[in-house]
This record gives sequence, structure tokens and C-alpha cells, in this order.
Amino acid sequence: MPWKQSARETGRQESGFEELALPLLPSLYNVAFWLCRNATDAEDLVQETFLKSLGGFDSFEPGTNFKAWIFRILRNTYLTSRAGLAARRTVALEDELNESGESGPAQYPEAAIDRQTPETNLLQLADRTALIAAMETLPPPLLEVVLLCDVEEMKYREIATALEIPIGTVMSRIARARVALRAALETQHGSSREFRP
Amino acid sequence: MTDHLSHDILSALADGELTADQLASANQHLAGCPSCTSNALYQSLLKSATARAGHRYTPPPELRERLALLASQTNSQLQPRGIRTAPIPPSRSFGRFGSLGWAAAAAILLVSLSLVFIQRTAQRAERTSAEHAALVTEVFDQHVATLADSQPLQVISTDRHTVKPWFQGKIPFSFNLPQGLPSDTTLDGANLTYLGNQPAAQLVYSIGKHRVSVFLRQRSGKAEANELPAESSGFHVMGFSTEDLEAIAVSDVDPAHLSELVGAIKHAQTGDQQQPK
Repeated sequence: MPWKQSARETGRQESGFEELALPLLPSLYNVAFWLCRNATDAEDLVQETFLKSLGGFDSFEPGTNFKAWIFRILRNTYLTSRAGLAARRTVALEDELNESGESGPAQYPEAAIDRQTPETNLLQLADRTALIAAMETLPPPLLEVVLLCDVEEMKYREIATALEIPIGTVMSRIARARVALRAALETQHGSSREFRP
Repeated sequence: MTDHLSHDILSALADGELTADQLASANQHLAGCPSCTSNALYQSLLKSATARAGHRYTPPPELRERLALLASQTNSQLQPRGIRTAPIPPSRSFGRFGSLGWAAAAAILLVSLSLVFIQRTAQRAERTSAEHAALVTEVFDQHVATLADSQPLQVISTDRHTVKPWFQGKIPFSFNLPQGLPSDTTLDGANLTYLGNQPAAQLVYSIGKHRVSVFLRQRSGKAEANELPAESSGFHVMGFSTEDLEAIAVSDVDPAHLSELVGAIKHAQTGDQQQPK
């Protein structure tokens, strides 16, 4: 399957685990914290990821994408962790996402978009607290693609490798995540306008 | 125009993931469709805003140290497939100088451990200082942002019975607001915010025409509010800690007035109902 092929990079990678993994610690911890929602579970997840990566470093092919490789381990570790299992019990992930349709229908009413002006859009996006709250409402499969794409600046191909899903699914999930974020910001903005004098 | 660009295409456009053909087609559509152009702009703004908001958590130094140690211990033994070096044969002379070798190794180990201990102590002091500086910077940034009129407070009220209940369910701790305030001091409102990745209550007061931000958060034990610098960048900073809470106040008002307000808030937390003068 195409998404199972690691993205090869040019040049031979001859660094050891320490040189490759430690610079990625802030990224791994940030994503882990977002997924687990608390520091203790995030630390456990990152440590477990490091241990598994160390154990499996023998299977890492030099010249392939180490970042995608270690994020795949983090993600798989998360899925079997206490936090990951709890999240899966809460949301029936694949069913909820309805990934059969790549484009999917719009999940916010057109009228809501027409009401918006560039100024209101900027005001919404400038509210960091509101955006963080909106991100926290995303189910893990949507949150993880947003984090990998926007925060970690990974390409769709790398995300597909890390999450072991087709590139089309990456594209679809990112689009759905942004629709959900926009809808959440709209809701918050609407309710705060009602609340404020 | 009925066939607008799909969310997938708009999203991939913001991410720079369209193929040359898709990009040409999208650009052609955008040239004649204000609605899709507006959506494309929103996608780009959302992407950059999400990137900023998403950089939220930093690993604790203890975790970094632990993993660095773990990685360095095993690094020499681990090499990815295909670039292993040949195993080094044991030295023939080891047997002859065995006891001498062990003694030398023990001495080197002792010296190394001492050096590591000294280095760790120095690093810990540096880290504490850096944590304080980072906290002060964060507090300043948030206070200055509050001074901007374009950012209204999330709860606007002079009534402590309105401001305190507003935080219920939003922060994992509780606090008290003083019944009486020093003269010329009023409560303006509050914000829910984050300090050092922890939820915090930002109480905003006015002393005359000066604004004061008082940040309250759960005591973490990492950065003691009492140890904060008294003045930095023209702003005065004061803090106090109770058993459960850590408070940091920042303002450009004179230190005496700031101290009165901080004292009143501290008394309210400790249950001492002494009224400020």
C-alpha cells in the first residue's frame, strides 16, 4: 500500500538515536500533551515512545524519515494507552468521521459564512483562548492531523506515513478539522457576543 | 457560479499541497469567486493561528534529562540497520593489568560523578533563573495585551460576587477576592488565561489610572512567586504563595500601592479578614 512506504530522503543517515530523537522531544511532548490532556500521561506516553523507539531503532532504515517514524510509534503507543483507549470509548472514531466521502458536505451553514466579514474572522482567530478551546473539542483523529500539519509543519505524505493512513484520508481529515474549528469559533463568538454587554 | 471549491481543495491550497494542475484550476476559480477567495483567506489565517495556538506545552526539564540520559546510555550500543561497526575485540593486556585497571576505572568514575554533580547543580540554578525569567516575560506579555483596548476582558464586573463565580468549572482551583480594597482601587474584571501551561485567573484592577493584573494559579513548586524580581522593564512585580496558590501581580503603579492590593488579596486567601488601610 502506498501509505506504508516510508518517505525516503536523499543522503545517507548515519546519526545515532540520541542525535535524531532528542531534538524532537519538544514536538513529541507537545502532541502527547494535546492528545492526553494532562502532563502525567503525556510524560508517560513520551517516555514509552522513547523506550519503544530505542528498542526498535534496529528496524529503522537510515535515509528514511525519522520524524514520521517516531511519530508513528507515539501514535500507536497513544492508541493503546489508558488515555487513548478512554478517548476511543468516548468517540466512535471512524464512524463519527464518516470518511467515505472525501469532500463531505459543509458542516456550517452558508448563512453563517455570509454574516462574517474579514474583521470578524480576524477577531475570532486573534482570540488564542477561544482557538485553544476549539482545538480541545476536536476528536483525536482530527486533532492529530491538525497538530502534525499546522504545528509540526509535516507534509501530507509524512503525516500519511506517521498515521498509516492514505494521503486522501489525511487531506479529508484536515479539511474536516478546519470546518469543525471554524464552526466551534463561530459558536463561541456568537455566544460571547450574547454574553458581553 | 455554483461549483465552489471543496473544503479539501481549500484546505490543501492553504497547506501548499495541490498539484500544479489543481493549483491552476483553483486559481482560475478564485479569480472569479469572492466567496471562495474569502474562504481561502480564512483557511490560511486559521492555519497560522492554529500553528501559534498549538505550540502550547514544553517538556519539563526532568523529562528531558531522563530521556537524554537514557538515549546517551544506549546510543553507543544502538545504530540503525546497515551501519553497524564491527565489534571491538577484548584487549589482550586487560588480564595482565586487571586490578590496576579496575582501580583506575573506579577513580575515573568517582571524578566523573563529582563533575556531573557539580554540573547538575549549576544547571539547576541556571534553570530556576531561566524559569523565573520566562514566567516574568509571560506575565508581562499578558498584562500588556490586557492594556490594549482591542482585547476586552472576558468577564467585566466590579462585583467580586460576579467575577469569582465566573471561574467555576473553568479552573481546577478556587480563590477568594478581598471584601474591601485599598482606596482608589477598583476591580475591573477578569480573564481565564494560561501561565506556564497551567490555567490561571487573571484579575484586573485599576489603581487610579494604572491597571494591575493579578495572576492566580495552582502552586506548582517550580517557580516561587516570592522569588520574582521586584522590577523589570518599568513594571513592578510582586508575588506571594499560599499552601495551594501562587499569585503574581504586575503593574506600572508605584510599589506601595501595588503592595497594598497584593496584601489585601493575600489576606483574603489566608482567611485573615484584616482590612487594608
